[in-house]
Amino acid sequence: MQPEPVNNRVKIVLPNTLGYERVAMASLASFAKMHGLSADRIEDLKTIVAEAAINAMQHGNCGRPDARVTIVFKVADNTINVKVTDDGNGFNKEVKDPDIDRIIAMLDKPVGFGVFLIRNLADRVEFKTLPEGGHVVEMLISIN
Amino acid sequence: MQQSANQIHIKSRGDVTVLDIRGDITAFSESSLEEAYQKANARDTAKLVLQIEKEAYINSGGIAVLIQILTHTQRSGQRVAISGISEHFKKIFKMVGITKFAEIYDSPEAAVQNLG
Repeated sequence: MQPEPVNNRVKIVLPNTLGYERVAMASLASFAKMHGLSADRIEDLKTIVAEAAINAMQHGNCGRPDARVTIVFKVADNTINVKVTDDGNGFNKEVKDPDIDRIIAMLDKPVGFGVFLIRNLADRVEFKTLPEGGHVVEMLISIN
Repeated sequence: MQQSANQIHIKSRGDVTVLDIRGDITAFSESSLEEAYQKANARDTAKLVLQIEKEAYINSGGIAVLIQILTHTQRSGQRVAISGISEHFKKIFKMVGITKFAEIYDSPEAAVQNLG
């Protein structure tokens, strides 16, 4: 008989309002601490979930007040898995890394930091389109 | 969720101007930070310290606002330091390149001493 998988999945549904990403940050930080993630990686995790939620609100859901951002997190194989889903078209994952020299020289706009931080702080990140509409960003952080 | 503007106190420490920024640094900080910078600039300051609370939440919108201020300081030839931020944000600021244009110190006193 297969062992019963541990049910540790948490789901949060946020209104499409900037600032509510802090609710996800606080919940995920408690969850990660409970599962033994180090203090410095908890800070990284808070940043990536905040940035994914902000992108979902602003770009995926285009600021629509009736839209929602759904965040699901769980632990499997000693890894924290976080999925952030929007109701809309998702954000442009192909955005190029911000170049601060060009921004300071006013050649580029100061944009793209959210995706940049997600890519640099998560151990793995995937951007997926859902068949039923909406997009999901899946981010993994290893506990060890 | 109501996003409040930052309270920013402008202080002079010799020839260094310190912007003591209370609260989180997000896209909502743009107007208060720009206004405080313009006031500091009116004092002909050549050296500026941005003192940020250690517990402050700083997101990508806030990073963009800080870089906007650094764009002004670079154009004006001003020397800038940032103080008070947590170890996490020291890492983030290095990652995005802010440390190329602003020195990072643990306290405003250390920043003033090193800029002065």
